[in-house]
Parts: sequence; structure tokens; C-alpha cells
Amino acid sequence: MPGMLNMPQDIASVIFENSIVEFVYNIYLMVRERHTKHWAPAFKKLRRLKVQKVKLPNFREEDTMSELTPDQIRSRMKEQGILPPRSWMERPITISATGAVFEPYIPPEGDGKLSSLTLGGAKQSMEFLSKKSKSMLAVRKIRSFEDNFSPSTFAEEAQDIYIKAHKALVEKDYDTLHQCVTELCFPLMTEDLKMCTTRWQFLKSLEPPRVVHARCTDIINKENIFSQVTVRFHTQQTLAVYDRFGRLIYGSEVVAKDVVEYVVFEKHLANSYGLWRIHEKIIPDWMPAREPGRKTYVQQKPVVESEPVADTVVPATPTEQSAAVA
Amino acid sequence: MEILLRQFQTKSFLSICKCLEPAYSHATSWTSGNAMLGKTLFHTSNTVAMPYNPPKGPRKWPIYNKKIFAPQLPGEERRPAYVCHMRTNIKYSPFKMWYVASMIRGMSVDEAIKQLSFVNKQGAVHVKEVLLEAQKLAVEKHNVEFKSNLWVAESFATKGLVMKGIRRHAKGRVGLVHYFHCHYFVRLEEGSPPAHFFFETAPKTTKTLLSEWVDEMRQRRIPGSL
Repeated sequence: MPGMLNMPQDIASVIFENSIVEFVYNIYLMVRERHTKHWAPAFKKLRRLKVQKVKLPNFREEDTMSELTPDQIRSRMKEQGILPPRSWMERPITISATGAVFEPYIPPEGDGKLSSLTLGGAKQSMEFLSKKSKSMLAVRKIRSFEDNFSPSTFAEEAQDIYIKAHKALVEKDYDTLHQCVTELCFPLMTEDLKMCTTRWQFLKSLEPPRVVHARCTDIINKENIFSQVTVRFHTQQTLAVYDRFGRLIYGSEVVAKDVVEYVVFEKHLANSYGLWRIHEKIIPDWMPAREPGRKTYVQQKPVVESEPVADTVVPATPTEQSAAVA
Repeated sequence: MEILLRQFQTKSFLSICKCLEPAYSHATSWTSGNAMLGKTLFHTSNTVAMPYNPPKGPRKWPIYNKKIFAPQLPGEERRPAYVCHMRTNIKYSPFKMWYVASMIRGMSVDEAIKQLSFVNKQGAVHVKEVLLEAQKLAVEKHNVEFKSNLWVAESFATKGLVMKGIRRHAKGRVGLVHYFHCHYFVRLEEGSPPAHFFFETAPKTTKTLLSEWVDEMRQRRIPGSL
């Protein structure tokens, strides 16, 4: 009886003498009726043909792209009439920098904590490069390509490159920055600061920069040599980082900090246009932690992969009882 | 040194389709079949294997997210962060979407999401998803500390793609059927929502009420007078 009974419940109890009918009516009230059904079902097909179906583009396709199987992608491309990409592509590739630091320098623990005026501090600063045979071999290799190379002069040049690189980073002068910094270092330096404003000042060098380590490696061919030289800096700098909205998120423009750094410089010796560029920075474990950020974060819960739990109630091997149940 | 490297089709179709964006020099280890290279860096040249599909729809709204403000002076009031987000070509009419978009104006993000969960409109599902995405973006990329400390500063919908179909009416008459799409835009701002977002619904102060009454009284004229 669709749409017939629209009585309120208190009247229903008066009208229905039979309580069973009243009960059924109350149940009926809880059921929803469908109002979308036409009263003449014989003409359904004709009614449907009134409106011509139009194929609408699916704009939400990209959200589910990652879940498609290769076969599904192939079929979709066929529908759109897109040819698949060529089976193998040849591309010229230029390797202008290595991807890591080879045989990294291990800084002595507690370096930079003692003043060079004390006995201990003086001993620390008397770390001669000439006593390190492997580094000296590397220096000789560098001299075979670059005649004027000497660790003492190079240390000063390295500091100039360091200052130039940081100034370019602050000004977001990425052309100059590419000249001063390798392809490994570039994203590490720029990625987080893309939406930020940086203010950096190099106040002074507390100790003269010193070459502490040198290594040479070859990539693919024996002649294709890259050299990596580690320079130790002990400087005073100020750094202030502001976010997109001009709010201070790290450091201070006024407070100067003493910085001990071990910066790896790399040069592609085999390339006649190669330059000495900052490659990486060695941060030892004993180095004190940086100033914490001015923001709180929601700690992400570690994703625990649950092992399949063995159900002890159900026996693994079929027994008489389990067989009976099955 | 330039070397020629072959990329064999050892990878799946899916990953090939994925790496169809224009190449740029990246410092990630893009190892090929040659294990000797190890973790070296490649500076690749640009090659395109698939036909270029230009971006369609509105593109200016997210550009507001790229604006960098000058560092604030120590005494200045802290500038509130904002994030602009949108969803384009939602299969929903802009005229219907207007109701959903205007409902949440001036609400805090949590309140808006709560309300949208119980609005009986298809557009509300999309708006809720956009709000959640925007909230996530704000925390991850726009230096917003607390995800609840956001309110809906701007919320509006515009017309998107409209496709036209036909239908027949009685006696051979033809009718036009419009298949509407809309774009939905939202801007979330950091902070608590303002007490009165709409000027019209804000309670008037006694001062304004008085001045309005005085103006009304002074506008009275005697009809037919000199």
C-alpha cells in the first residue's frame, strides 16, 4: 500500500482495533518508500532513449592512476589513441660530479673544543697533512693536472668559494651557486630554503682554514679522475631563516655562532673546465646538536608490520573433532 | 665526459608512463643496468617520449602559495600563514556548489569539516576532501604549526567545463541538456575565525544604531511642501 497511509501514530492506535495490524503499520513507518519509480513501467526503454547519452571526460582519473596495472594503462592508452613510448631510448649523459664522498675524513673527537692556546688545543691544530700518506698521494695526483696546487693556498681559495656559495644561496642566484657547488650538494642546500628568506653573515675566521684530507677516484675509466679535498673551517657566522610569511624559524640575525666545519670540495680533474666546488659536509657523531626549531610537530607513529597470528584454538592438523565440524 | 646509456625496457609500463615528465638534473641515484657506476649523478638532457598535454583549467590560484613575504621586523605583529587550494572540473553544478561553498565561509576548519560531513549534497564530499588536503598542505609546506588553528577565509566555486547534450520532448521538440562541471577554490588562514565574518549579520553597536536612527529622522520630508 504505497503512499496511502500517512496517519500519525496516536491516531493509528485508535483506528486499528487489531494490535497486530497496528504493529505492522509501525514497522511500515520505519521503511522508506522509493519515489523514483514511474507508474508506467512498460515505456521505460523509450523514456531512457529521450536523453542522448554524452561521454563526459573523467577529471578524477589521475587520483587513481597509481593503482592501475600495466594492462589497464595499456588499454586506456589504446582508447585515447596514444602510442606507447619507444622500447629503448638512448640519451647522452654527462657525469659532472660523484654521488658520494669516497673514504670520508674522520674528524678527531673533541676537535675545536679546546682553545689553540692550550697545550691540548695546540696539539690538535698540529695535525699535519704531510704525515698522511694517502692524502699526499692524492695531492700529487692533483698536481699532475693542476701544477700550482698546494694545500696551503688551496685552503684560502676554498674559504672564498665557501663564502661565494653561501652568498649566492642567500640571494637565490642559482647560476653562481651551480658554479660553486656540485650537483649532489645543490638540492641539499636549496630544497628547504626555496620558500624561505635567509640572512647570513660571515663575520670572521677564528682559525686559518686547513686542508685535512685528500682523495682521488675514477669513474668508469681510469683516466676520468675526480678529486675530493676536505677543508676544516673554524669561523664565526650569523644565520637567520625566515619562512614564507617573514616569520623567524631558525637562528638569529644578531647572535654570532662559532662553527667548526669539515667541507669536502670536489673537482673533475679530467675535465679541463672543471672547478673546485663544495660537494658535501662531514658531520661527525660527536658534534653537538643544532638549535631546535621553533615549532612543534605531531610525532608520526612508526608503521608496525603485524605478523600473521597463529590461531591456537583451531588446530593446524585435522583431528577427529575438526573433521566432524568440517 | 659523455657516454651513451641505453635504457632497456626491463621496467614496467607503469613506471615508464610515470617518468614521462621532462627530465631535469637531479642528484638522486638514477642507476641503470650498469652496477659499476654505483651511486653517480647524471645530468641528463631533455627528451619527451609522449605527446605534450597542456594543463587545462584554472592555474592562477595556487600561484598565491608561491608569494614570499619580506622578513618581519621584531616589533611587528605576526603575519598569519595562509594556503590556497583548489579542485578543478568537479562533476557538479556551480549553482549547486555555491550553497556548499558559501555555507563554510568564516568557519574554523574543524567546524567546516564537521558540518560538511552531514550536508546532504554531493558537492560537500568534494569540498570536504579539498579542505582536508589544504589542511595537510598548510602543515607540511606552509609552516602552520597546529592544523586546527585554521579558518576558511575564502571559499567559492566557478563554472568549469559545460558539455551539451540533447533530449527529446513531446511532439518532436528538442531540449538542451547541460552537463556542468565546477572548480572549487578555498583559502585557509592561520588563526581563530573572526567573530563576525559577514558584515550584515554582525550586531550593530549602539553608536551605529543611533547614527542610523538620526539619519532616518533627518531624511523625513513633508510631501507637497515648499
